[in-house]
Amino acid sequence: MNIKTEKRSQMKVITGNAAAAIGAKLARPDVVAAYPITPQTEVIEQISTFHASGEMDCELITVEGENSAMNAVMAASLAGGRVFTASSSWGLVFMYDAVLATAGARAPVVMVNVNRETPGIIAVSSGQQDMISTRDSGWIFLVAESCQEVLDMVIQAYRLAEDYDIQIPVMVHYDGFYLSYLSEGVDVPFQEDVDKFLSVLKDQPGRTTLKPGQKLGVGSHGILGGYLELRHKHVMAFERSKDKFDAIDKEYNDIFGRSYGGQVEEYRMEDADVVLVGSGSMCGTIKSVIDEQREKGIKAGLLKIRMYRPFPSEALVASLADKKAIGVVDRSLAFGFKGGPIYTELKAFETQLKGSKLISFIDGIANSDITTDNVVKMIQTTLDLASGKDVPEVTWVCYPEANKPQSNEVGGQ
Amino acid sequence: MPSNKYFKHEGPWSDANDPLMCSDTGDWRTKRPVVDKDKCIFCGFCAIYCPIQVVEMKGDTHFEADLSFCKGCGICAKECPKQAITMIPEGEFQK
Amino acid sequence: MEKKVKPKKVKPTKVLDYLKHEDPFSKGVAFCPGCSLELLLRFIPQVLGNDIVITGTPSCSAPVLLGQNNQSWHSLSYFGTLMTGAAANATGLARYYKKAGIDNTVVCFNGDGTAADIGFGNLSGAAERNEPFIYICYDNEGYMNTGIQKSGTTPYGAATTTTPPGLVSKGKNLRRMNLGLKMAMHKIPYAATATMSNLEDLAKKLLKAKEAKERGFAFLHVFAPCPTGWGSATENTIEICRRAVNTNYFPLWEAENGRVRMTKTVKKPKPIAHYTELMKKFAHLTPEDLEILQDDLDYEVCMLGGLSVLEAECQLPLSADE
Repeated sequence: MNIKTEKRSQMKVITGNAAAAIGAKLARPDVVAAYPITPQTEVIEQISTFHASGEMDCELITVEGENSAMNAVMAASLAGGRVFTASSSWGLVFMYDAVLATAGARAPVVMVNVNRETPGIIAVSSGQQDMISTRDSGWIFLVAESCQEVLDMVIQAYRLAEDYDIQIPVMVHYDGFYLSYLSEGVDVPFQEDVDKFLSVLKDQPGRTTLKPGQKLGVGSHGILGGYLELRHKHVMAFERSKDKFDAIDKEYNDIFGRSYGGQVEEYRMEDADVVLVGSGSMCGTIKSVIDEQREKGIKAGLLKIRMYRPFPSEALVASLADKKAIGVVDRSLAFGFKGGPIYTELKAFETQLKGSKLISFIDGIANSDITTDNVVKMIQTTLDLASGKDVPEVTWVCYPEANKPQSNEVGGQ
Repeated sequence: MPSNKYFKHEGPWSDANDPLMCSDTGDWRTKRPVVDKDKCIFCGFCAIYCPIQVVEMKGDTHFEADLSFCKGCGICAKECPKQAITMIPEGEFQK
Repeated sequence: MEKKVKPKKVKPTKVLDYLKHEDPFSKGVAFCPGCSLELLLRFIPQVLGNDIVITGTPSCSAPVLLGQNNQSWHSLSYFGTLMTGAAANATGLARYYKKAGIDNTVVCFNGDGTAADIGFGNLSGAAERNEPFIYICYDNEGYMNTGIQKSGTTPYGAATTTTPPGLVSKGKNLRRMNLGLKMAMHKIPYAATATMSNLEDLAKKLLKAKEAKERGFAFLHVFAPCPTGWGSATENTIEICRRAVNTNYFPLWEAENGRVRMTKTVKKPKPIAHYTELMKKFAHLTPEDLEILQDDLDYEVCMLGGLSVLEAECQLPLSADE
């Protein structure tokens, strides 16, 4: 459905958290569950303010824990409502049983997760470990680079989750501390335009919902063939969501004048010799370094992953094949593997990349900044790889100690 | 193309508009309740306390259990204030 | 020869009048013979109606409340969920129906394992927020579906598979927690205890809970013996409930907005042995052990008695202006 409207602008300077809250408000959820955790707290504070002022007509449940937050919105969603909640790191893993149940029940819940370090070490700092710890939940994972993208992604998330062909819950991730508290210029859509964008859903067949007296029940046991049938349906819907997300990007562009490319965003990739693959706020830094490097004649490009789950393997392969060298930047660790998690996942498709070489960069963990210098180093290392030099498979950019030869004893060297 | 052999929906929904499942629980019991109609005072305690709710009014004379699903727990016999119900071993009825 | 006199017929029990609706459950379902939970589950929709939305968790009720693939054992709308967030699920349902203007009675139906242990946090949270639904806890004093393990409401001295009696153990060596009173202290519109021997009392309390739900959270704590887990004869299930009430092991009361009122006062309570003799789970206890159990019961009854006269005879000084 192509709706051409005048591209209207409402530029505001707001934080990433405020952008998420406004995105949710514009989608008009019926039920919102709120529980605070750094660095997400401002999201639910903003929503509470909207609710108290009458701007947001929803049932706001100030729950006593994140586990209850997800359980409450899952139930409200299965009853037929549009819902929203927000969490981060420890909160996300506390609600994890309900996160899994939500995906299994195919409830179209939308939430934001403000990335923060998890699991294991108590830390109130940025990193994507919480996203990695929960990547096999069966949810669609989207990752935002800027405050503008946070707002746009939240609105697109509703369009995607509630689509009759999809019916999978969607989690929008964005970096805590770097995006949550950062103020940027954001073009806030008008309510009528968001209503138009989401009105497509009303024209679709209705999904099954739980209502009194209809003799339908949800949460039935899956037994043998029945269980497998549901799993298969979920996997098929996951696959469909890739093209669907690309199509939604175009629909969004038609109304709001902003396109990001769908599952992945290509930045100066056409003639790139070396490519960095990244996700989240690091991409902003990488883009500006690429521009600088291009001035110096170095043909670098960025492939930004926007849809992390389902893993956009086809889009990645199409974009990366024939590139000489690819450096995958991970803001997290993959326990049990030497390289980062996204690097390890991409490596599974290495044979389809027709000779491209892959290396892993681990950076940005626990609030260590991914600086322009770091990015320059990464590009240089990847260039070395392209020219056939011997480079380590994994480089911990934020912790050079790890790159030195290690003894295998407890306590390191 | 995913099938709808086991589930009609994308998610784990069950539909009671289709016939309900039913186990042959009458097959479980080792004793069955037998009512002495003369002793029955029609109080209905057996009917309200039967966990399966299979004890029914027979006209206005007495209550009796529908044995299709009776599990033979003996609660009706125990609760009857006039001891009008006796639990008889199933063996007696299978000659 | 003695002439046999046929006893006079009486009017059938009033309880039958409360069973206004059909039993929505299939007749052949997998509950043990003599299971009080089966009676309770069939009782509730017959009193409250077949349009309730019932939530169920892994428990003894799950194999019947939840479906198998596309098929169901009953015709109620249900939500099969996890123990950890049962009250939160019911919250989500009730709040959405409120927003959408859909008339509803959400019944969150859980065992004591969910209500007192793993799911207590969100039960307390839902009560604190006065969410508009009915929470019914059937208390069979243990995790029965997984094979009789101890829970927070298992009484002192009880034998379970995780508190078995042995050379160094007398069964559970800790007292049970009083779930009903804890919930009454949330000052919710309605909290009550009930059991399967006093069915008219249970029916009235169900109806009161449904009415109270219009004003907020309603909680029912139902004592539901388990013949399989407690080692009692299947025919004694109702008698056990009766003796629990008559020994003050499970007093029957209700609390509207935190004000406790006994719904059955037992004038001459029998000693606890009158109750424990009917089940094997206490068989290993000596009279001295039973004394400990008796003392604990007396403490709870005293507390209950004190609370139930609170408004009339409060001994503590009130505001400074007086």
